[in-house]
Amino acid sequence: MKRAGLFVALVVLGWAAWDTGADPVRFVRGLPWIVDILRRMLPPDPGVLPQALLGALKTVEIALLGTAVAAVLALPLGFISARNVAGATLFHPARAVLNFFRSVDTLVYALIFVAAVGLGPFPGVLAVVAYTTTSLAKLYSEAIEGIERGPVDAITATGATRLQILRFGVLPQVLPLFLSYVLYRLETNIRAATVLGFVGAGGIGFYLQTYLRTIDYPAASTVLLVTVAMVMVVDAISSKVRERLV
Amino acid sequence: MIEIRGLRVALPPATVVLDGVDLTVRAGEFVVVLGRSGAGKTTLLRAINRLVEPAGGTVRIAGRAVTGAEASDLRHARRRMGMIFQQFNLVRRASVIDNVLAGRLGYVPALPSLFGRFPRADRELALACLAQVGLAAMAERRADKLSGGEQQRVAIARALAQQPAVILADEPTASLDPALTGSIMDILRRINVDGGLTLVVSQHQLETALTYATRIVGLRRGRVCFDGPPRDVTTPVVDAIYGDGG
Repeated sequence: MKRAGLFVALVVLGWAAWDTGADPVRFVRGLPWIVDILRRMLPPDPGVLPQALLGALKTVEIALLGTAVAAVLALPLGFISARNVAGATLFHPARAVLNFFRSVDTLVYALIFVAAVGLGPFPGVLAVVAYTTTSLAKLYSEAIEGIERGPVDAITATGATRLQILRFGVLPQVLPLFLSYVLYRLETNIRAATVLGFVGAGGIGFYLQTYLRTIDYPAASTVLLVTVAMVMVVDAISSKVRERLV
Repeated sequence: MIEIRGLRVALPPATVVLDGVDLTVRAGEFVVVLGRSGAGKTTLLRAINRLVEPAGGTVRIAGRAVTGAEASDLRHARRRMGMIFQQFNLVRRASVIDNVLAGRLGYVPALPSLFGRFPRADRELALACLAQVGLAAMAERRADKLSGGEQQRVAIARALAQQPAVILADEPTASLDPALTGSIMDILRRINVDGGLTLVVSQHQLETALTYATRIVGLRRGRVCFDGPPRDVTTPVVDAIYGDGG
């Protein structure tokens, strides 16, 4: 059984390597070109630093606003797609809808929203909201399904209403988890938002794409360095806060 | 105070847990329910306030029907019955006083309560209940920072905050160090004698039961097999409750 599984895996991977034209020789032959591009990126051009920083700020704004809106929109969705809170009539369609929308990536949403509302950071925000809402709702609902039954029983036994039971029996158990998921999503959204500019949805990606297209490698490397710094700073802050939550 | 007639509880797929229980508890009694594990003690207590939905029979509290009651009548019935659980069932992350305040949920205005706002009188009552179990100094501590015995006392305070006529206690000392059994049972006795509350307590420890109860009810396979004062609990009675025979 184990051996058959290994065999199947090797066949699948082998086929994928052949079909994608994966070729170590070709990669090695390409190495000098990578070195050449890296060499041409140095030194970074400090002249474009102001644009890069402004772009980074936009990207952070897109991720922040999009994540915050999604964190709220996902709340009702999370509750109705939790098996132990919602009835089967609500739960099954809700899960199906979540899984459908979650399978579309932020960048694809960005393409759709750029076509709908035009270029700029706003379609970027909408794209982040669209993807993050469904992915957070899924995480929320799993947190809700993992709660202890005991406190819910105890609150029910006091004569509390359904909403009070959710507020006092369920919410205190899941809130720290929810916040932790939101911060985690913020980190991944910062990364996702760096490429939103490639499709015209604003932020630092716009500059990176422009400089790469005009073969201005020193400027592109400045933008890349700013991107790395931005991601690292947000990650560091976010993980510090997350540590305190749980 | 509590009238139970022909109470039946069946759990899916086909397990009959309570099989026609008749029991009338008079005001001020301290009833201890004895039985082997699986005899239906927990289910009996949980069916009284309908945390478990009975398949048949009736339960009345102070003359008012619990079984068949509409949602709001059921909540009114529940707030007159405090419940204490084997696992305490506190909201661990919440403070001690917030856990006790949950006992007021059936009384306070619903909307403000959802925002964590409770009338001053209810806060004072919650503090007084905490003082009754000797934990007034712990009000602001997080519930999970307390020892097991203290947590069960908080749970008792939460039940008292309901200003109930009846306390249902499901194996209240089973998760505690045996040395703490007496202190918890003493508090329950004080509530019964000084507070005039009616108590229905399940216990697996025979000696504790005989020490504190004014009346013993033996359950066996979902039926009442003994009902009488502790002095009538003779060896044949104990065998009937706990024995291996048919």
